[in-house]
Amino acid sequence: MSQTHDHHAPIQESGEISEFEILETAVRELAIEKGLFSAEDHRRFSEWAESVGPAGGSRLVAKAWTDPEFKARLLADGTETCKEVGIDWRDPTGSGTPSDYTYFYVLENTPTVHNVIVCTLCSCYPRPVLGMSPDWYRTPNYRRRLVRWPREVLAEFGLHMPPEVEVRVHDSNQKSRFMVMPMRPEGTEGWTEEQLAAIVTRDTMIGVALPQVDWTASEPPSKVGA
Amino acid sequence: MSDGYRVLFDTLEPGSRRESSLPELDGKPAPWESSMQATCECLSWRGALDNLERREAEDELGETIYLDFPVRARSAVVTAHALLDLGIIDQEELRSKMEAVRERFERE
Amino acid sequence: MTRFQIGDRVTVKDATSMFHTRTQAYTRGRTGVVVEHRPEWVIPEDEAWGREDGRKEPFYVVRFLQRDLWPKYTGFDADTLETECSERWLEPAEEEPK
Repeated sequence: MSQTHDHHAPIQESGEISEFEILETAVRELAIEKGLFSAEDHRRFSEWAESVGPAGGSRLVAKAWTDPEFKARLLADGTETCKEVGIDWRDPTGSGTPSDYTYFYVLENTPTVHNVIVCTLCSCYPRPVLGMSPDWYRTPNYRRRLVRWPREVLAEFGLHMPPEVEVRVHDSNQKSRFMVMPMRPEGTEGWTEEQLAAIVTRDTMIGVALPQVDWTASEPPSKVGA
Repeated sequence: MSDGYRVLFDTLEPGSRRESSLPELDGKPAPWESSMQATCECLSWRGALDNLERREAEDELGETIYLDFPVRARSAVVTAHALLDLGIIDQEELRSKMEAVRERFERE
Repeated sequence: MTRFQIGDRVTVKDATSMFHTRTQAYTRGRTGVVVEHRPEWVIPEDEAWGREDGRKEPFYVVRFLQRDLWPKYTGFDADTLETECSERWLEPAEEEPK
């Protein structure tokens, strides 16, 4: 039986070490000792994962909003057009990995269609353009319920779509990966690509939120306006 | 499917609970969670444990044997379970490695 | 040559699942419309076994009305769901009786 550990001495600035953290470390070290992968493998993957967030996706949307020809290319061939912003889905040491797939499609929201993405089978996610998936995206809670009760799930995120708008759920069960291109909000006339990219947040590209002119996800909500 | 492993049940601290709503599951992953993701990717990449199989096991075991565990810990617990099932590691060596790690963290 | 064209109404077969199929249970026996072609891929049933020479097939994006997928769907009539199916999982929809 394990011993009971009521308190661990706080380690540096990070506070208590949880048993899960100990488990994670133990599993990783054992795996490396047994040659299942190398420490370098792990380091490289971590380094890549930290470097990728939703910035690539935001850039794609901002460019599409400001450049109709880019938008047309992006909608016609997402995989190829990503290269224009430095994202190569086929390069495992670049911004794709072997478990990502290579057919990328951008789903355009319109006044009559609102897209939202899910992977019911295993939570595939367009990592090269959005970074790591949110924890909630990977839960059966989201994955089972979004396909069945999409409007209820969207409402849990604070998003309510009118009845006449088609809520179109995309279940990425095969080799395609998807990202939503939200509609450009009013009040952004004359904005630069950079300013536009800042309001295209991760959740707007999954489809559980709409871009807001006053929300960039870069600071906590308590610091942003009302 | 085997039963759960004692060494894994022992990681569940009293008072911890499963997250109960979607927003509770949001928030930046802790460093160890990101590290675990990297481990899972490496295990799949180098062939020891396929991502899809592991994800399916996370769903199945996370909703049954390891139902009481926080969802955030699922990858860690289920990956360990899978490696135990595969016979790549055994409970004794996992337990003693965890003891060594714990000691190392407490020592620093 | 693809068997189904864009606009065709198709029904997902209710076939026995082999391991590693990626055809969801909730689509079996349901009817939708082909809205896009996808490139030919090795079918997941073969890919999971690591067969490099696995069978390739056309894939299709099928769009379903949510009210056709779920009993007592609580959203609205306009709502849809799209997913991708390999050709072997699809058959032409039967004509609705008039």
